Amino acid sequence: MFSDPRYYLWLIPALPLLAAAVIGVLGKAILRDRSHWLCIGGAIGACILSFMTLSAVSGLEGDRIDGHRCIRIYYTWFHAGNVDIPFSLQADGLTAVMLVTVTFIGSLIAIYSVGYMHGDPGFPRFFAAVSLFLASMTLLVLANNFIVLFAAWEGVGLCSYLLVGFWYAKPSAADAARKAFLVTRLGDVGLFLGILLIWVNFGYSLEYDVVFERARSFDNHGLLVVICLLLFSGAVGKSAQFPLHVWLPDAMEGPSPVSALIHAATMVTAGVYLVARCTPLFGQAPEAQLVVACIAAGTALLAALIALTQSDLKRVLAYSTISQLGYMFLALGSGTMDHRLAAVAVTAAIFHLFTHAFFKALLFLGAGSVMHAMGGIIDMRRFSGLRRLLPVTHWTFLCGAGALAGIPLLSGFWSKDEILAVTKQAGQPGSFASGIYLLLFFIGVATAGLTGFYTFRAYFLTFWGEEKVPHEAGHHAHESPPVMTLPLCVLAVGAVGAGLVFGPTGWFGGFLEEHWVNPEFPRRLLSDRAEHAHDYLVMLFSSIVALTGVGAAYWMYVRQPALADSLARAWTGLYELSRNKFYLDDFFYSMIVKPLTVLALLARVVDQYIVDGLVDLVGQVPAFIGYAVRPVQNGLVQFYALLMALGVGGFFLAILLR
Amino acid sequence: MNDLQNALLAGQFRYILPEIVLAVAATGIFIGGTFRSGRYLWSWAALGSLVASLFVLTITAGFVLPSGEAGRTATFSTPLLFDSLANFVRVLAIVAGILLVLFSWNEVPDRHAADYLACLLVIIGGVGLTACANDLVSLYLALELISIPTYILLYLPRHDDAAQEAALKYFLLSIFSSALLLFGFSYLYGLTGTTNIAAILHTLYGQGGGDMPAVAQIALITVVAGLGFRITAAPFHFYAPDVYQGAPTVGAALLASLPKLAGFIALLRVLGFVTPDGVLVPVAGRPHVLPGMALSDQVPILFWFLAAFTMSLGNLLAVLQDNLKRLLAYSSVAHAGYMLVALAAAPYLSERSSGSDGVHALLYYLVAYGVMTIGAFAVIAFLSTPERPVDNVEDLAGLSGSHPYVALMLAVFMFSLIGMPLTAGFTGKFLIFFGAMNVVGEQADLYRWLAVIGMLNAAVGGWYYLRIIAVMYLRTALRPIQGRRNVPGLVTLIVCAVLTIGLSIPPGANVLLDAVKNATGIKSTPSPIAQR
Repeated sequence: MFSDPRYYLWLIPALPLLAAAVIGVLGKAILRDRSHWLCIGGAIGACILSFMTLSAVSGLEGDRIDGHRCIRIYYTWFHAGNVDIPFSLQADGLTAVMLVTVTFIGSLIAIYSVGYMHGDPGFPRFFAAVSLFLASMTLLVLANNFIVLFAAWEGVGLCSYLLVGFWYAKPSAADAARKAFLVTRLGDVGLFLGILLIWVNFGYSLEYDVVFERARSFDNHGLLVVICLLLFSGAVGKSAQFPLHVWLPDAMEGPSPVSALIHAATMVTAGVYLVARCTPLFGQAPEAQLVVACIAAGTALLAALIALTQSDLKRVLAYSTISQLGYMFLALGSGTMDHRLAAVAVTAAIFHLFTHAFFKALLFLGAGSVMHAMGGIIDMRRFSGLRRLLPVTHWTFLCGAGALAGIPLLSGFWSKDEILAVTKQAGQPGSFASGIYLLLFFIGVATAGLTGFYTFRAYFLTFWGEEKVPHEAGHHAHESPPVMTLPLCVLAVGAVGAGLVFGPTGWFGGFLEEHWVNPEFPRRLLSDRAEHAHDYLVMLFSSIVALTGVGAAYWMYVRQPALADSLARAWTGLYELSRNKFYLDDFFYSMIVKPLTVLALLARVVDQYIVDGLVDLVGQVPAFIGYAVRPVQNGLVQFYALLMALGVGGFFLAILLR
Repeated sequence: MNDLQNALLAGQFRYILPEIVLAVAATGIFIGGTFRSGRYLWSWAALGSLVASLFVLTITAGFVLPSGEAGRTATFSTPLLFDSLANFVRVLAIVAGILLVLFSWNEVPDRHAADYLACLLVIIGGVGLTACANDLVSLYLALELISIPTYILLYLPRHDDAAQEAALKYFLLSIFSSALLLFGFSYLYGLTGTTNIAAILHTLYGQGGGDMPAVAQIALITVVAGLGFRITAAPFHFYAPDVYQGAPTVGAALLASLPKLAGFIALLRVLGFVTPDGVLVPVAGRPHVLPGMALSDQVPILFWFLAAFTMSLGNLLAVLQDNLKRLLAYSSVAHAGYMLVALAAAPYLSERSSGSDGVHALLYYLVAYGVMTIGAFAVIAFLSTPERPVDNVEDLAGLSGSHPYVALMLAVFMFSLIGMPLTAGFTGKFLIFFGAMNVVGEQADLYRWLAVIGMLNAAVGGWYYLRIIAVMYLRTALRPIQGRRNVPGLVTLIVCAVLTIGLSIPPGANVLLDAVKNATGIKSTPSPIAQR
C-alpha cells in the first residue's frame, strides 16, 4: 500500500485530526502531561507521509498514475440537487512542497513546545489545537476544489483564534484573538464572494482543474479581474497585507511556538499559496497582478519601516513577517510580462515561502527561548547582552537573522534575490506597466536594506551590549532545555543551508516546474522550459544594500549606542510615526471601530425599546383575541349545540349565497 | 339483486375478519369481566386480541379482491370495500389501540378494566370498518360503533361531577352531530336514489361537477358539519376542552386520536377524495376536475374557511390555557385545522404534476399527530399520581431535574407539535403547507394566504408549547414530581418518542411516505391533470 500514495494521502490530515480529537476528549482527564506525545506522533507521521508523497510526486513523469499528472483521491462530500461537492484531495508539486514545509516545521515546533509549554495548565488544550491546526493546514494544501479549501481556510482561522487567545484570561490575548479572527474574516468575505463568482461563471464547478480549464476560454476579462481581486482579498486578510495587516502584530499575544508555527511559517502563507494555486487565473488578469504587486511592495516597505522602531522583539519579527509576505506577493504579482516570467515568478514566491518558513520559525522560536529565560519579558529595553547567557539561542538566532537580512549565501539571500530579479524583469521597458514594476523593484531593494537594519538591530539589542537581565527572570536565567534547543539547531541548519542547496542548483524551481507549473499552466503559456538564470547584478546590488543595513545596525547599536537616541530625537516626527505603526491602528479605530460602536449602540436602543416593544405588542395580540373569544367557551351544552347549529347556518349562507 | 351481488356480499365476511376478531374478543372480555376483575389479565387479553387482529389483517390483506366486472359490481353494490387505504387505516387503528392499551395498563382501575378494554376494542373495530365503508348506512353504523363505546368509556372510571358532565356533554353533542350527518345522508339518498358511496359519487359527477344543485350543497355542508364534530373542527369543537379535561387521561388521548382518524377517513370517502377505480370518469371538456371536486366546486371553499377558522380559534384559545388537558384539547383543534388545509388544497394538487398531494400530506399528518399527541397525554398520565396530580402547566416545574428522560421526551413531543425540524410534526406541516403553496391556477393566491395563516398559527402555537418546555427546564418545583414505576406507560412514551423522530428522518420517513402513497396510489383515480 505504500507504493501508491492514493492509499495514504488522506492520512496526512487524518493523523493530526485524530490526535486532536483524542487529546481533546481525553487530554484533560487522562493524558494531561503526556498529551504532547500524540500531537508529536501525529505531526511526525504526517511529516513522513508528506516526504513519501513528495518522492511519489517527483516520481511522476508526465502522465503517470491513472493518467493524472498529480495524485488524486475522491470522495463525495455532499450533493444537493445536481450539484456535487466532492471531498477530493490532490497532490502535485506545489502541494507536496507545502506539505513537507508545514509538517516538517510543525513537527519541530511541536517538539519545542513540550519544553516551552511545560507546566502550563492548558497543556493538553495547546496540543489539541496545534494538532487541529496541522490537520486543517494540510487539508488546505491538499484540497482539490475551492469548497474544501475554504473549509480548511476557516479551520486554520479557527485554530489561530484558539491559539492566539490561548491565555484567554489575559484581556489583551482575548482581544488579540478576536481581532485576528474578525480582521481575517473581513478578507474571507471577499474570498467567498470570489468563490461564488467562480461557481456561477465557470459552469457551476469549483474543482481547480475545471475552473482553470474554463478560465482559459473565459471572455469576460473585467469579471476575471474582479474574481482575482476578490480571491486576493482573502489572501490579504490571511497573509496580513495592507490594510488588513493590523491583526498579525497583536497575534503575538499567543505562545511563541504558535507565533512561529501559525503566524510565521505556515498559516499566514496560506494566502500566498492561494494566489500561487490560482496563477492560471491571475495569469489571465495582469491588472489584478499589478494590484497584487503594488499592495505587496507597499506592505513590505511599510512593515519594514514600522519594524525599525519597535521595542518588542516578537513584534519586530511579526512586522518582518508581514514584510516578507509582501515579498512573496510581489513575486506573484510580477509574473506579467510573459509566460516564462510567470513560471519563474511563482516558483520564486514559493521558494521564498519555503526558506522563510525555516528562518522565521527559527527566529520566533529563538525569541521564545529568550522569553523563556527572561521570565516572560520580551521588551528589548529590559534585557541585553545575552549572548553568553544563552549561547545556543544566540548562535541559532544569528543564523536566522542572517538569513532574514539576506546575508549572501544564507537561505533568505537566494530566495529574495530571485524575487527581486523577477520584479526587475517585469520592469523591463516595453512590457506591461514596466514603469511601475521598476519602482516596485527599487522599493523591494530599499526594503532589503531596512530588513538588514531592523533584524540586526533586534539581534544586537538582545545579544550584545552589557549583560542585563530583568528581575522577572530571577537569578537563574539559563539556556533552554535540549528539547527546545534541538529544534533550534535543526532549523538553523535549514536557515543556513536550504538556500544554498536548492537555490543555485535550481532543484527547487526545477521540481516545481516539472510537477506543477508545466502541467498546470496552459501549454501555450510556456514557450519552453523556464530558465533560472541568476541575475548577478541584482544579487550584488541587494547584497550591498542588505550589508549596509546590517553595518548601520552594528554602528548604531554596538559601536555608538548613543547614536540611536540622538537620531530619534533629531527626527522625532518620523520616529514617532514608525513607532506608532503609522497610526494605522488608531486610524482604523477612529474611522471604523468607533462609528460602528456608535451604530451598534443606536441599534441596541432601537432594538430594546422599539423593536422589542413592537414584538411584545404583537405577542400580546393572540392572547388578547383569545380573551375576547373565551366567553364563547362557557361550558353550557345547549349553548354549544346552538353554536354548532349557527355554524352550519353560517356555512349555508357562505356557500349557498356566495 | 343478482347472483354476482349475492356472491360478493357473502364474500365480504372473510375480509372483515380482523374486525370480527376484535368484536369477539370484546364480547368475551365484556362477559369475562363480570366474573373476574383485574386490569393485568384483561390488558393482556386485549393486547393479544389486537395482535391477533393485526395478524389476521396481514392475511386478509393478501386475499385477492374482485376485479374486472366483478370488481365494478362490487364497487357499486357492496357496503364495504377493502382497498389499500382501508388496510392502511386499519393498521393505524390497531397500532394506536396497542399504544392505548399499554398506556392504560396501570391507569384504569381493576373494577372497570374489562369494560374499558372491551370498549376500546370495539372502537378500534369501528375505526377499521369506517375505513372500509362504501355505503352511507355502513359508514354511519361504523361511526356509531365508535361513538357508543366512547360514551361508556367516558362515563366508566369516575363518578365525580366533572366526569359525568363530560360524558353527558359528549353524548348530547355527539348525537346532535350524528343527526346532522344523517340529515346530510338523507339528502344524498334523495338526490341520487342510492346509499352506495361510489354510486353517489358517480351519479353526482355525471352531472358534470362544478356548481352543484343547492340540495347537494346542503347535503355537503351538513355531512361536513356532522363529521366536523369528530375531527374537532370549529365551530363543532366546543365539547373538546370540557370533555378532555373532565375525562381520564386515557380517555382524552383516545378521543384526541381515534375519532379524528375515523372522521378524516370518512371525509375522504364520502367526498370522493379517494375513490375506487371507475367511479370518476374524466369528462370531456372539464379536464381540470380533480377527485375532491367530485361533489362540487364548493368543497375546497368550504374546507378553506373551516381550516382557517379551526386552526386560528384552536391556537388563540390554547394560548390562554393553564390546564394541560385543556391546552392539548385546543391544540388538537388547531392540528385539525392544519389537516383541513391539506384537504382544502387536495383538489388542486396531484403527486405527479406538482410533487405534492393533499391526501398524502393529510395521512402523514394523521400518523404524526397521533404519535405526538398520544405521547404527550402519556407523559401526563405517567407523571400523575393521586397524591400529586399533574393537571396544570405549572405542575411540570422542575421535571428536567426529577425525570430528565421523561422531560426530554415531552420536549420532543412539544417540539414536534410546534413543528421543529427533525420531528414528524415538522415533516407533516411541511408537506401540508408546501402543498398549499404549490397550488397553481386561479386559486393559487387564495391557498398561499391559507398557508400564511397556517404558518402564523404555527408561530402562535410555538408560544404555548414552548411555555411547557420552559416550565420543565427553567423552573424548580416546590414539591418534586414523584412518579411511579410504570413499565408499560414508559414503553408507550418511548415508542411514541422514537416514532416522532424516526418518522421524520430516513428510513422511517421514507417507509411512512411510501405506505401513504401506496394507500392512495393504487386504488385512487389518477387525476386528470396527471394524465395529460
